[in-house]
Amino acid sequence: MHLIADLSCPAMAALSEEVLLVVKRVRQRKQDGTLYLMAERIAWGPEGKDRFTVSHLYADIRQKISPDGKAKIQLQLVLHTGESTNFHFSNESTALRDRDAAKDLLQQLLPKFKKRANKELEEKNRMLQEDPVLFQLYKDLVVSQVISAEEFWANRLSLNNVDHSASNNKQEVGISAAFLADIRPQTDGCNGLRYNLTSDIIESIFRTYPAVKQKYAENVPHNLTEKEFWTRFFQSHYFHRDRISTGLQDIFSECAKQDEKGLRSMVVQGVKNPLVDLLSLEDKTLDEGYGSNSMAPSTSSANKTVKENSNSAIIKRFNHHSAMVLAAGNIGLSPRGPAVKIQEAIEYEDLHMENGKKTVALNLKKSDRYSHGPVPLLPQQYTTSQDIINSVNCIQQEIANYKPCLTQVMSSSTASSAIAALSPGGLLMQAGSQQAINQMVPSDVQGELKHLYTAAGELLRHFWSCFPVNTPFLEEKVVKMKSNLERFQMTKLRPFQEKIQRQYLSTNLTGHLEDMFQMAYNKFHAWQTRQMLRKT
Amino acid sequence: MKLNIEGLLVYFPYDYIYPEQYSYMLELKRTLDAKGHGVLEMPSGTGKTISLLSLIVAYQRAYPLEVTKLIYCSRTVPEIEKVVEELRKLMEYYSKEAGEKNNFLALALSSRKNLCVHPEVSSLRFGKEVDGKCHSLTASYIRAQRHSNPSLPSCRFYEEFDALGRQVPLPAGVYNLDDLKDFGRRKGWCPYYLARYSIVHANIIVYSYHYLLDPKIADLVSKELAKKSVVVFDEAHNIDNVCIDSMSVNITRRTLDRSQANVETLQSTILKIKETDAAKLKEEYRRLVEGLKEANVARETDIYMSNPVLPDEVLQEAVPGSIRTAEHFVGFMKRFLEYLKARLRIHHVVQESAPQFLKDISEKVCIDRKPLRFCAERLRSLLRTLEIADIADFSAITLISNFATLVSTYSKGFTIIIEPFEDRTPTIANPVLHFSCMDPSIAIKPVFERFQSVIITSGTLSPLDIYPRILDFHPVTTASFTMTLARTCLCPLVCNLRNPQHGAFWEGGEGPVIRNYGNLLLEMSAIVPDGIVAFFTSYIYMENIVASWYEQGILENVQRNKLIFIETPDAAETSMALEKYQEACENGRGAILLSVARGKVSEGIDFVHHFGRAVIMFGVPYVYTQSRILKARLEYLRDQFQIRENDFLTFDAMRHAAQCVGRAIRGKTDYGLMIFADKRYARADKRGKLPRWIQEHLTDGSLNLTIDETVQLSKHFLRQMAQPFKQEDQLGLSLLTLEQLQSEEMLQKIAQIAHQV
Repeated sequence: MHLIADLSCPAMAALSEEVLLVVKRVRQRKQDGTLYLMAERIAWGPEGKDRFTVSHLYADIRQKISPDGKAKIQLQLVLHTGESTNFHFSNESTALRDRDAAKDLLQQLLPKFKKRANKELEEKNRMLQEDPVLFQLYKDLVVSQVISAEEFWANRLSLNNVDHSASNNKQEVGISAAFLADIRPQTDGCNGLRYNLTSDIIESIFRTYPAVKQKYAENVPHNLTEKEFWTRFFQSHYFHRDRISTGLQDIFSECAKQDEKGLRSMVVQGVKNPLVDLLSLEDKTLDEGYGSNSMAPSTSSANKTVKENSNSAIIKRFNHHSAMVLAAGNIGLSPRGPAVKIQEAIEYEDLHMENGKKTVALNLKKSDRYSHGPVPLLPQQYTTSQDIINSVNCIQQEIANYKPCLTQVMSSSTASSAIAALSPGGLLMQAGSQQAINQMVPSDVQGELKHLYTAAGELLRHFWSCFPVNTPFLEEKVVKMKSNLERFQMTKLRPFQEKIQRQYLSTNLTGHLEDMFQMAYNKFHAWQTRQMLRKT
Repeated sequence: MKLNIEGLLVYFPYDYIYPEQYSYMLELKRTLDAKGHGVLEMPSGTGKTISLLSLIVAYQRAYPLEVTKLIYCSRTVPEIEKVVEELRKLMEYYSKEAGEKNNFLALALSSRKNLCVHPEVSSLRFGKEVDGKCHSLTASYIRAQRHSNPSLPSCRFYEEFDALGRQVPLPAGVYNLDDLKDFGRRKGWCPYYLARYSIVHANIIVYSYHYLLDPKIADLVSKELAKKSVVVFDEAHNIDNVCIDSMSVNITRRTLDRSQANVETLQSTILKIKETDAAKLKEEYRRLVEGLKEANVARETDIYMSNPVLPDEVLQEAVPGSIRTAEHFVGFMKRFLEYLKARLRIHHVVQESAPQFLKDISEKVCIDRKPLRFCAERLRSLLRTLEIADIADFSAITLISNFATLVSTYSKGFTIIIEPFEDRTPTIANPVLHFSCMDPSIAIKPVFERFQSVIITSGTLSPLDIYPRILDFHPVTTASFTMTLARTCLCPLVCNLRNPQHGAFWEGGEGPVIRNYGNLLLEMSAIVPDGIVAFFTSYIYMENIVASWYEQGILENVQRNKLIFIETPDAAETSMALEKYQEACENGRGAILLSVARGKVSEGIDFVHHFGRAVIMFGVPYVYTQSRILKARLEYLRDQFQIRENDFLTFDAMRHAAQCVGRAIRGKTDYGLMIFADKRYARADKRGKLPRWIQEHLTDGSLNLTIDETVQLSKHFLRQMAQPFKQEDQLGLSLLTLEQLQSEEMLQKIAQIAHQV
């Protein structure tokens, strides 16, 4: 099925993607056309035209739905954005086969891309969560639709590509213990059951039950189609462990045996922790025949009812299932030796003096100083130790020679009033007091101002990054960014200015912001006039 | 720290002490001073073992002539190992503080399976196999045969030990099982026999209950322990059952068939020997005429433990003539077997007393009481004479002979029940003769009579007064200690779920109860971090509930929150499930363990810290009341000890419930929920039988809760407990420095901790 696109259309040929499947006679919006499944996207072009009118990257597709039992044979794609596209396979004779072929291929392709898409989403999410400033920015710019999400992320993700590689080998995600519960069958109304399988669930089944995976590899697609395989799976006694196998021909009966074997081998391996090893718990068991309750339930299945057998099968199954799920998500804790376990068991941590671990709680008076780190050294005059010693000697001499001149001393009341006048808030200190901005302006306004600054900074960064404007794309962007700036000024900055005016605060708070915007506009106009000149 | 306990200098190997530990040591000292027995209940996780060890070791050092030995009995091998490790810690502290190496010898003793270093023998999996193989290499007549035939296999470790090991005593120190094995390997001596030999002069022995309580083993191992010993039974809440088990015998058709085969082997061996070595049999006969005087001499010196299977009269008399010759004895056994076989051929249940049984046997097959009493001893002699290597093969006939001796010795305290089939499967004939002991005091009596102080202690012994009654002894101290807590780290809640009617369950009429149980579990699985352990009243009941939950989809929903592991009747499978359960708690996934009260998990496994943040007890774990053996025992208790049936049943149920819920709290830094999911727990007769340290926290506000209320209270509790808990928070309240301990005020407070009964 692998063939390279060889289409007459030059635009398409330029893309020259690997085409994996071509299905003719597929209708979309009541128009006949051809469906192409390519390496990275699915596309559809109307009959007779040489371009695609529908094209979705696989990464954008959230799920595909292929409803059975409808008159029309359709395939529905739902995108992450919520849009959906319907394809109707209209070639009567092969419609079903076509659809299944497309579906199967998608089934294989989607998970690969899904992971990539998820990873990107996750990464973005993580960045927003970790950086509150960025999050605020995102809210200011994207949520209020000043710029689009793509623009916002355009040069952010690439910045983080460095640590991307580190997070690439992220830890494997475990399996939900209840994944089988998620495929609750639904009745389809006519005496049948419907199971909804997703690729996640299938992967979970494979990881938890390697035997099923093996069966799948053996039988699909040579003997069974995928659908038949899963149908049989859900019908099997293997899936419904409470039903006792009646010995019917069932491809999964072997799986049950393998599981049994796996469980056995786990049991035979025994446990490493002596504290939970029930077998060696008792030092001396009573000899056979002694004891008052030797009537322990006989383990032979001979005198057990069918019900009891099925009950114990369920219990076994739960233990096995949990063990497998646990093993699938194992992160390999290093087991500690038995001696350590016993030592731990007798330890009374609170009876010991806590030693060594005592730490002093960090008590920060000025947290900004702590978070901003040391201030860079300013050039200043250093005094050598010799200088200091000299000056100390000097002062000592001065003091030794000091003679108080008691006749010229002020009275105590004048002295204290002078001190009062020179203290902050005193008579002489008022004129020179520069009240800091953080005392004049209420903190909510300050916060808002901060947000405005970051948002404006971000927009301006986008704007200035367009220069020099040397590609059509940048040209387009710079125009857009300018309008973005204007919009921002209108929707965010103006209301803020009005607000502070209402509160009779000094209006020069936003002066600097305005300057920055003005600077950008000037630049833009300069560029625009030059552009006009060049065109004329 | 060094403590002054009423004038006794006690070295305590920690910097701090819990108030209850001090109080416990006080009571213990008074018990030792009075040379009497004691019953002490103290919650687990309050350092019971180290308090016991510190005080008794100090006592031994101060009064070496008053107390010569400490015999510490625990239930499981890990428990034994733990005790030895705590002891090691104490001894290290002694040598650090006192600066001198003290000459204490302390060692653990366990079965051959745990001590054997012989490369082939120790690789065997089951204890019985190891014992049998060891016996076939080391029995005295085997070794005698080897003189004439050196090609016979031998155990070089035993030979080495026999040649050299007894000359020099084991150097002073603390030996756990691995230490003994290492020492044995180094010297080339058998660690098992070395340990058995060394317990005679050791200062401290740690071993399991059976070595003192099971007469068959006690006779071999613990016979020569000095009278001036202190015996401690730790985790003693089930001691009565251990006693009863060691004295009860069950005989099935299979036992009889195997005995038949044994008898035939004996017969042919006798014939063979008669042809080759008739002198041997004559010698045996002569010995038997002289009687069992040797044993009698030993007993008179008061250092031997009396063997309940070997009553006094037996020792004073010679073996009766009718079973003195080997052939006669074999014939006698054959007759006895035939009689038993005939008794098992029945269609209805028979219950009779020992005298009735003896009367019947003398009427039907003319077997008197007297020769029956000598059966066990006579068989032992014969097996020795015939030089039978593998005694394990003769376990069936040994069982029969022990039964014969027991039934003819005790006219009281036992009952014989012959059942033609199991209750659950009335169509399958499977006749069983139960010879069951109903009086636990029979097995433990020699222990109380022989040793000067016996301490019975556990985390759950409530109500305390019942143990002296059923074990028939008079303690000088009976006390229950509370746990002093700086924060209430346990939260018992009684959920008002309806109790299931045991009968109704089988008809499927218990749907709502089961669903409610399921809802409770589901709700808890969503709010409790890490591990939850749930206990059911019986295994079959749990199986059915799990199946119903599976059908109702409850388990699937539980699985969304936690992994599920379930106890099975197979110990190996359960061990694996337990390990996986712990792994799941460890790696943060969280898990639920469904388990059974009275099962192995509820008895031997601790769920410390995150391994058990909540325990849910579904129902009241009453014993299966339809059992005839139980009925007989209840009757006996009523007649002999004036204990009402209901009182005993409730006591028994509540001690198991307390055991189950107590599994979660293993210390003051630990915390856990205890949810009693049955409204019957709210009744005074049930509540009052819980240990004091749980009862104290069971306020009226935590009774009769709906599921929602339970969840709310649990959430609140868990949130509180999740706050950091530092040592400073405890100091002065539940944790004391030496100075704090010495203050007058604190001593007064401590006096209130012990609750004398």
